[in-house]
Amino acid sequence: MNRHLARALPVALCVAAMAGQPSARQEPFPSTPPKAGPARDFRVPEPKRVTLDNGLEIVLVQWGNIPKVRVTLDIRSGNAFEKADEVWLSDLTGNLLREGSATRTATQISEQAARMGGSLNVSVGGDRTTIGGDVLSEFAPMMVELVADVVRNPKFPGTELPRLKTDLTRQLAVSLSQPQQVALEKLRAVMYGDHPTGRVFPTEAMIKSYSADEVGDFYKSTYGAGRARLYVVGRFDSATAEAAARKAFAGWGKGTPATVTPPKPTTERVVYLIDRPGAVQSSVLIGMPVIDPTHEDYIPLTVMDALLGGAFASRITKNIREDKGYTYSPFSDVSTRYRDAYWAENAEVTTNVTGPSIKEIFAEIDRLQAEPPSAQELTGIQNYMAGTFVLQNSSRSGITGQLAYMDLHGLPASHANEYVKKVHAVTPAKVTEMAKKYLRDDQATIVVVGDRKVIEEQLKPFGKVVVGK
Amino acid sequence: MPRRSVVTLAFALALAAAPAAQQRSTIPVNYHTLDNGLKVVLSRDTSSPIAVVGVYYNIGFRLEPKDRTGFAHLFEHMMFQGSQHLGKNEFIGLVESNGGILNGSTRFDFTNYFQIIPSHTVETILWAEADRMRGLNITQENLTNQQGVVKNEVKVNVLNAPYGGFPWLDLPQIANTNWYNAHNFYGDLEHLDAATLGDVKQFFETYYSPNNAVLVVTGDIDPSQTLGMVKKYFAGIPSSKLPAPLDISEPRQEKEKRVNKQDALANRPALAVGYHAPARNTPEWYAMGLIDDLMVQGQDSRLYQALVQKRGMTADVNGGTNILLGNMFDVKGPTLWSAFLIHDADRKPDEILAVIDEEVARLQKTPVTKDELSLAMVKRRSRLYAAQEEFAGFGRANLLASFALFDDDPAKINRLEEEFSRVTPELIQKTANEYLRTSNRSVLTITPQPPPAKDPEAGVQGGTR
Repeated sequence: MNRHLARALPVALCVAAMAGQPSARQEPFPSTPPKAGPARDFRVPEPKRVTLDNGLEIVLVQWGNIPKVRVTLDIRSGNAFEKADEVWLSDLTGNLLREGSATRTATQISEQAARMGGSLNVSVGGDRTTIGGDVLSEFAPMMVELVADVVRNPKFPGTELPRLKTDLTRQLAVSLSQPQQVALEKLRAVMYGDHPTGRVFPTEAMIKSYSADEVGDFYKSTYGAGRARLYVVGRFDSATAEAAARKAFAGWGKGTPATVTPPKPTTERVVYLIDRPGAVQSSVLIGMPVIDPTHEDYIPLTVMDALLGGAFASRITKNIREDKGYTYSPFSDVSTRYRDAYWAENAEVTTNVTGPSIKEIFAEIDRLQAEPPSAQELTGIQNYMAGTFVLQNSSRSGITGQLAYMDLHGLPASHANEYVKKVHAVTPAKVTEMAKKYLRDDQATIVVVGDRKVIEEQLKPFGKVVVGK
Repeated sequence: MPRRSVVTLAFALALAAAPAAQQRSTIPVNYHTLDNGLKVVLSRDTSSPIAVVGVYYNIGFRLEPKDRTGFAHLFEHMMFQGSQHLGKNEFIGLVESNGGILNGSTRFDFTNYFQIIPSHTVETILWAEADRMRGLNITQENLTNQQGVVKNEVKVNVLNAPYGGFPWLDLPQIANTNWYNAHNFYGDLEHLDAATLGDVKQFFETYYSPNNAVLVVTGDIDPSQTLGMVKKYFAGIPSSKLPAPLDISEPRQEKEKRVNKQDALANRPALAVGYHAPARNTPEWYAMGLIDDLMVQGQDSRLYQALVQKRGMTADVNGGTNILLGNMFDVKGPTLWSAFLIHDADRKPDEILAVIDEEVARLQKTPVTKDELSLAMVKRRSRLYAAQEEFAGFGRANLLASFALFDDDPAKINRLEEEFSRVTPELIQKTANEYLRTSNRSVLTITPQPPPAKDPEAGVQGGTR
């Protein structure tokens, strides 16, 4: 509709009319885009996999033209393995791990990694903790050795604990000053309750209580060769890197097998309003549990998501941004964990249009449930997903992430090279089926962090409003 | 002029040496200037079947009209709102339905538009970029819509965010004295509201012409075929008379500046220091790059070790040149080297500044050792690769476009390592003494402002539950 308005506009307002005409010797400018040539073949690079006697798997991938290599040890440890009074204990464990090994101080680790052109970072997530970094190609074996030393021989110096706990406390405070984080905490708590996934933030008191012994115990129970994979991705000498990995990780104890109880998230149509007095925008988060990446509907579900809210050209974004101007960067996604996922729409909207924004989001869900998209709209989104899949697998970090994702969820090796085909196999009817089956909007959990005195009335049409943290 | 011979030579070499050009990560650079003045940089990289198409216009937010702060950025949004053959939403739809992603950004010295796409769709996207370089077709409705979107962008990134604008938006306004460098680049909301279709038209006519732009295409492309496509769609766009350059220079700063900002949304104090950086392409500019590597990049850096590892004043210290808006290579005019951190209330800003002063003094008084210099160089070499690889190869296009736009010399990308390796300990010392002077410094502190304490249930700012 906007297109027609634009074209009907008087020429006087069109900059195009003033921009000059093509010179006579040029061919006329074509009025429609030239069609793309044939797509080039793309295959996710084939990894070489080796499993050591202790269960640690080594995954080597040659990729790229830049003489760098990414070394990542991926361990099944993280927030999903914390008890109710241990929130962020895995973060503290990761941070203290970085403070030194039996033979290297934290400063020595930093400097040695820097001399390889990189740094050694420990990153703690829900299902996985990663240790590693990118270095210049020639240092691949040395980086493997450094990572192995840090993870196998931690010193856990108690002297550094107060500093790291102070840092975590500050990080907690800063997180809680961000409205999006406050909204996320509420959504997770409502949907996941007592499951670790429901606990996004600790209390200050919790952080204060953690001791070096507790860190050591958490390490013992969640780290070990049987829970780990080493990814080496980039340009490097395979033989020396593999030999270094075999040597560095041989003899590392298996550890305890990872046992995870998948959550049973619940949702009902309630609006949770958290007051942020004077806020010029409301942070809106609308979520509901969906199926996880191992389910046969998962790829069709993500196609539906991209069309609805996951792409720039998606329906919700076109509506509340490009048509209404209510917001800047709304997006929906399917957030996944081991054997768990939820769909959510995220939008920071101007305060006085909080209600109208939520109304439009639900209207777009309803529209997709009522009527299949046109073949043209769906093909566009399928091409977008196929193209971005290639992009995601065109960097060392992207390839590492893709492999770690497949390994975590137990997807077969064929997944990567069948993905695009499966995306293209989704029909318009399937998209609508996915929207109806999984976006149970009458049961959506709605969280809004914003200026209560302005928005409370606006929220009432969407369900019972519960105010407070 | 040397430029013509360099251009020709670079092209000839790249053609002759195409198959071997990937060795040791030398980047093939094909550089041309069309008759209408459009600079074209092509660079082949076959590591993935993707390509980057970018158009860089030589107009940054420094130069926007004085009664229209934020206009350069608002205008960037208008470039997605319709051209002669692509109505609203159609540019975005065309790129995404061809499997690509896209964005634009407004920086100190350029506004860029880029697409990362499957390489077989390059011609389609070139056509679309040419269509909007030929002219826009914007309605009042679309302008009003994007004024709403941009105001929401300012809200989400600044007005509703703790530490909003810290330090990237605030520090230049404190450190600089020339209006062009010192105004609010995101724009006052009233200025954004005041923009008219006439402003849009005039801004486009003034700055958005081929002779004020660089087109860069990198990735899995055939350079000569791609040049043919570029000529087909862009050669017919007429050049225009560009305005005379404005004076964007900054005087030498002679006295330290300190500004405190109350932040009602933040709950921990923060501190940033910014120093005017050496001018582009001077020996000191390269030296400052290595100072950056030594002082603030990585956990081995001097400031990290002093502030984090030894004293626990903060969990991390961040910093660099042109921080949060780019790097030292993609800014031409006056810029800052800065460092910043978030800390606790029990550490006074002066305590933290004393540690920074101590590390700066060490660099000023004692020449770095050969060993430290080689450490800085290995970090730099790795960072140069990282800068190219950023965002699925967009980083390489960004560097090539910047060197073409600012220096008329995209092949410079292959000489950076050599230029950095010329830096001596003496030059580092000299650069530290001139540019890391306290009198060349601006300090920004953020103080959390407690919310009005009338509703005890109200505070999500509290930080505890």
